[in-house]
Order: sequence, then C-alpha cells, then structure tokens
Amino acid sequence: MTARPPVPHRLSSTVLALLVPLAVLLVAGLAIASFADELPDRVATHWDSTGPNGTGTLAGFLAVALGVPAVVAVGCWLLAVLAGRSSGTRRISVGFAVGFAIAFAVMAVGALAVQRGIEDGLDAPGIDGVVVAGILAGVVLGVAVALLAPRDAPQPTAERVPADAPRLDLAPGARAAWTRTVSSRSTAVVVGVVCVVLVLLAVVLHTPLTLVVAVVLAAMLGTMFVFHVSVDERGLTVRSALGWPRLVIPLDEVEQARVVHVRPVPEFGGWGYRLGRGGRTGIVLRTGPGVEVERTGGRTYVVTVDDAERAVALLNTLADRHRVG
Amino acid sequence: MLVVLDPSSPEPLFAQIGAQVRAMVSRGELRPGERLPSARDLATSLDVNLHTVLRAYQDLRDDGLIELRRGRGAVVTAHPVDHAALHAAITSVVATARDLGVPPATTLALVKEALR
Repeated sequence: MTARPPVPHRLSSTVLALLVPLAVLLVAGLAIASFADELPDRVATHWDSTGPNGTGTLAGFLAVALGVPAVVAVGCWLLAVLAGRSSGTRRISVGFAVGFAIAFAVMAVGALAVQRGIEDGLDAPGIDGVVVAGILAGVVLGVAVALLAPRDAPQPTAERVPADAPRLDLAPGARAAWTRTVSSRSTAVVVGVVCVVLVLLAVVLHTPLTLVVAVVLAAMLGTMFVFHVSVDERGLTVRSALGWPRLVIPLDEVEQARVVHVRPVPEFGGWGYRLGRGGRTGIVLRTGPGVEVERTGGRTYVVTVDDAERAVALLNTLADRHRVG
Repeated sequence: MLVVLDPSSPEPLFAQIGAQVRAMVSRGELRPGERLPSARDLATSLDVNLHTVLRAYQDLRDDGLIELRRGRGAVVTAHPVDHAALHAAITSVVATARDLGVPPATTLALVKEALR
C-alpha cells in the first residue's frame, strides 16, 4: 500500500470554504455595526408565528448569528483540506460553508435592520420574509460556489488490479454490462409524510415559511431516492433518476473494487449522497451490501446496491482488461 | 442485471440479449414488475445500436415476458409466460404449409377451425 497522495486544491478550498464565508460574516458584522446605535438595548432574538417572543443583548445575538456559521466554515475548511481528495467532498464542504454563512448573514442583518428606531425589541415586526430570503440566498449561492470548486484531474493508473480481487469469467472479446436500480422507498415515504405535515402546518398556522422548507426539502430529497448504477466499459456510473447528482469512475482510475456491508447511519451519518468516516464518499440508501471502489488519488467511494458481488467482479475484470489491452 | 455479449458468436446480438433476459426471468433473478434498464441506457452500456436492444425487447414482449409501456420502459410482466414454444410451433406450421403448397388463407382457416 503506497502512502496516500496529498489532498489537492488546498488553496481554492481555503479561499472558498474559509476566506469567503469569513468575509461574508465580516461584511454582515460591519453592516450591523453601522446601525447598532439605532437598535433597542435588548434586541428581539427569537420569533414565533405571531412575532418576537424573546430578547437579548446585541453581543449575545451576534455571537450566535455570526459565530455559529464561522465555526461551521472552519469545520468545512478542515474537512476540505484534510479529507478533500474527491471533488465531491470539496464541493459539499465549500458549498455548505458559504451557504451557511450567507443564510445566517442575511438573516442577522435583516432581523436587526427591522428593529432600527424601536424602543423595545418585543415590538419588532415578523421576519418571515427575511428568513425565506436568507435560506434561498444560502442555497442558491452555496450551490453556485460548490460548482466553482475545481473538479478532479484525470488520474489514470497502469497498475494491474490485485490478483486476489474478485473477478468474473469473461471471454477476451466479450462485451459486458451490469445495471441495477437502487431506490429507497422508506426515505420517499418519510419525506412525503414530512412534506405533507409541513404543508398542513403552513396552512393551519399561517406560516408560509414552512412551505419554503417543504419545497427545499422535497427538491433536495427528490434527487436522492432513486439511483441507476451501471458497470461497463465506461467504468462505474451512478446516476440519480433525475440525472443529477451523477458519479462516474472510469476504468483507468479503478484500483480495485470489493463488496462491503454498509451501515448508513454509523458510517455516513445518514442516507443519500454523503461524506463518510475515513474520507469516503458514499451514495448510501439502505443498510446492506454495497460496492466499494478504491479510486486513484486515495479516493474511496461506496454505493449501496443489490447484486454487489457481480458488479464488483465485473468492475475488477473490466478494469484489469483495460490495463492489459 | 448482467448482460454479456460475444461479438464473435454467430448468434445475432439482439438474440443474445433476449436469451439472457429470458434466462434471468426463468431463474427468478428478474421478478415480475421489475423494470429493465432503458433501451438507450443498455445500448450505451453494451456499446451496441439502440435498435439492437429495441429488437430484443420487442421479441421479449411478443413472447409475453415483458411489457413495453410509454414512459415506464420495459417491465417484467406480472405472470411471465414464455410464448417461445408457441412461436416455434407456429414457425413449424408455416414451414409445413409452404412445403405442402397450402395457400396462407387455407392455413389460416385450418388454424381458426382448430382454435374453436
């Protein structure tokens, strides 16, 4: 086993996951400072559906509203520069750091701007619009910045696949394709129920905000519960039923594949397209067998899918044949 | 599902695809209601012409093993019954009728008679 190569693109990860979020939070802090003397002594810090129901000091408010996303950004930056061997890891890290910072910055500035000139924080108006704007800005700009993170350069290898890796008996000139669809019906049901509850809450409590949460949740999860997995001359392809996200590992970057038993919650902290322990990237929809691919550049990917034995055997066989041929 | 094609075999590629899907259904590896990969995806994966896969799927549909539905693709039928034996018998009836010089209309009339 050779030493793992260094994590690539550390400079861009540092700029995008650390400097950009901190700059956003700094700008938010300066904006708030510019009108701090117009704010009540105790500003509104908490709202329910009828209006503000809690107050606190400005310093305490800012420590949470700007401190939390700063800590998140540092965590994401560490993840990107220490474990960001695959572009997926770097993209999720920088997108999350920036999205979080922007959402919190918009909400902090907006929530305080409406309190200028009032005596008591409890007289502050509602901030539903501010929260919606913050979430939307965070999601949109987070995704945009994630797309800015550099993709992985091709890293082909000429090393043979280890002889003890599982193989398939394949005639020399034969063409082979393995395909399988993996879906998570339980996730779909849970998301469906949660969305219906949120919509009902929105109607009953007159809180349009929960509608936005339902829509964002449905859109995010909609990309996550059906994946088509295939192994063929193009390598391993995992594609969401909606076309995105998509993962392609070409044959010349497959070091070897093996069957693993996957437990999504302890190993990946949940279901979907996830970052897992040990820097693995996973598309994990259920507990059970999965394909684990060691990819060049020290990258490891896991996909939960039935019939993983044959997928692994075919991937090793094709990858090795590709080197020889 | 796993499909392996041997381009050097005299058996046409569409027949090789059909035979493997048929075997998977009879082994219970493909269950009723299960969806086959789209013809386009499978053709790309196997690096064959789209029409090769479509031809294989149409034969499987004619044999009652799968249903082709617009928008849903190819789905294994609820009670897959392999009509291949019936097709073989029909082929042999047609061949015999030709050998004996019996005109198609007469052959059809005889088959209809027999079906009553």
